[in-house]
Amino acid sequence: MNNMTNYLRRFFNGRHLVIGIPYLWFLMLALVPLFIVLKISVSEMESTSVSNMVSWSQGWPSIKLNFASYVFIGSDELYVKAYLSSLNYALLTTVICLVIGYPFAYFMARSPKHLQPMLLMLIMLPFWTSFLLRIYAWKTLLVSNGVINNVLMSLGIIKLPLEMMNTPFSLMVGMVYSYLPFMILPLYANLSKLDMRYLEAAADLGTSPLKAFWLITVPLSKAGIIAGAMLVFIPAVGEYVIPELLGGPNTLMIGRVLWDEFFSNNDWPMASAVAVVMILLIMLPMAIYNKYQSEQLEPKP
Amino acid sequence: MAIAPRANAVREDLLRVEGVTKIFDGIVKAVDNVSLTVATGEIFALLGGSGCGKSTLLRMLAGFEAPTQGKIFLAGEDITNLPPYQRPINMMFQSYALFPHLTVWENIAFGLRRDHMPKAQLIERVESMLSLVQLTKYAKRKPHQLSGGQQQRVALARSLAKRPKLLLLDEPLGALDKKLRETTQLELVNIIEEVGVTCVLVTHDQEEAMTMASRIAVMSEGYFLQIGSPDEVYEMPNSRQVADFIGNVNIFDGVVEEDESDHVTIRSADCLHYVGHGISGNSGMVVGVALRPEKILLSKEKPAGTFNWCEGEVTEIAYFGAYTTYHLKLKSGKVIKAQELNNTRDLSCGLTWGDSAFAQWSDLAMVVLTQ
Repeated sequence: MNNMTNYLRRFFNGRHLVIGIPYLWFLMLALVPLFIVLKISVSEMESTSVSNMVSWSQGWPSIKLNFASYVFIGSDELYVKAYLSSLNYALLTTVICLVIGYPFAYFMARSPKHLQPMLLMLIMLPFWTSFLLRIYAWKTLLVSNGVINNVLMSLGIIKLPLEMMNTPFSLMVGMVYSYLPFMILPLYANLSKLDMRYLEAAADLGTSPLKAFWLITVPLSKAGIIAGAMLVFIPAVGEYVIPELLGGPNTLMIGRVLWDEFFSNNDWPMASAVAVVMILLIMLPMAIYNKYQSEQLEPKP
Repeated sequence: MAIAPRANAVREDLLRVEGVTKIFDGIVKAVDNVSLTVATGEIFALLGGSGCGKSTLLRMLAGFEAPTQGKIFLAGEDITNLPPYQRPINMMFQSYALFPHLTVWENIAFGLRRDHMPKAQLIERVESMLSLVQLTKYAKRKPHQLSGGQQQRVALARSLAKRPKLLLLDEPLGALDKKLRETTQLELVNIIEEVGVTCVLVTHDQEEAMTMASRIAVMSEGYFLQIGSPDEVYEMPNSRQVADFIGNVNIFDGVVEEDESDHVTIRSADCLHYVGHGISGNSGMVVGVALRPEKILLSKEKPAGTFNWCEGEVTEIAYFGAYTTYHLKLKSGKVIKAQELNNTRDLSCGLTWGDSAFAQWSDLAMVVLTQ
């Protein structure tokens, strides 16, 4: 009894509690749901409620595995196509965000110190309105009788309205617009910490400013580029709302497929399997990168 | 004190700075109408406290700042408006600024690659630089895998690799601890001498300036107080500020009583000074008499004669091993410092706290400061 209280006291000390809270959070809101999704993905159609996930046989819990959904994903062209096009659009979004975001973050980091909080504020400002509203706003800008077409036509630049809505173009506009801040913020945080002495040292050794940018600034901001790219790429792969609102029939993305499986087909095992494959697709390159990164940091003998 | 004072052969001037002024934001005068020449092969030190303008002057030599006024010539060529990447000048940065994403080898090769040096020659140059600073074994490491002393040597190799006409050193030993500093100082001077490069170094550490440089410019508030060899600056300071900045000094405020061509006598609150050389002044003039602590001899017996001694009470004793510093409180309340060499193992003058002691010095030990 005494031993037990001692043990409990040691276990529930302040340090364990402080560390425990985020672990508990992670367990409840990430690991447990993930496990449920995993389980559903290998279940039969009928047994898709949480209560009968585990069946009992002779007093022991038993889990029946059924990989039919995974096999189906591999064999049906629709899924493969949706994955590839999702990765494709996410990659394109990431690249465009990087191309626009890098100079943006660079000049923000180089601008006078007293202006920087204001510039930062301007980046964050869109977050004050609902994400959904901002995507709808793009709709009114891009449709055939929308603001952009009206202005261009009244100026006489075009005769017929441009078909922008429900095309890959409108999808990319929405994606880049929504994810750009997630690229700029980590890049800005990284670039504003860049030690100017490295650039001076490069200049001193005979490097022109442009060359120094490619040889020093870009390699030293690698961590910021990767952080920004991850923050954009990962949610972009699974994006549902933007393709739904701004995309068209030829902008198939895996988020749409997922939604259809869950809510139109009511095929939970299939939907879960689609989700699991998506998570794996995103996690694999991340894991490889992490391994490479930790090898880089280890001192060589 | 200089380790290797260079031969006084006539050399041509490599660097000439003419009336350079730097004003920041239209008001802050960092460098104020400074002129100097540095001869080929010289190691020239800019010495001063923080904010004296020495770093700004160095940055103007490197090309990171443009002078508000004045001109800078290198080997007769006006380089005032040349950007840093076009100057045949290289700098060893304070805390080195080694590129963290490149290996030691790539850091040293960096400048050579910008000049598109042929590969075979580049490899040979980098290898010779590595062996010069004894880092051949560490070529594949990244800067963060090296100790402070090793990083310093990489920085030196990187700045020497392009064989610059002029090498700038910004607080070259500032980031090292005291013990390492002494050995590195010698190493650094030896390498610079071996390469034979002309050097301008910036430091706030007077010992560093005195051991490394062949000439020193003492700077304060943007202008030069004095330029001279280390012993000139130490033994013949031209002002109170210089005397005070370089080493320890006791300054007696006095009035000139007798002003002859071969000697002067000066009366201060605690003693009569007999200085064994003439000064450019006249009797009745208010002057300072500077006396270095190591030139004072302490004893318990009252010295004979009327000049160059004073009496006081020992208030502090600081034992440094090689020598001991005594604080002597004089009758007027002035405290002077005296340094006694511990040349035998029993503490020779046997003074302790509260003792009454006599300080005496020779008539050539003092410098009369008129400003």
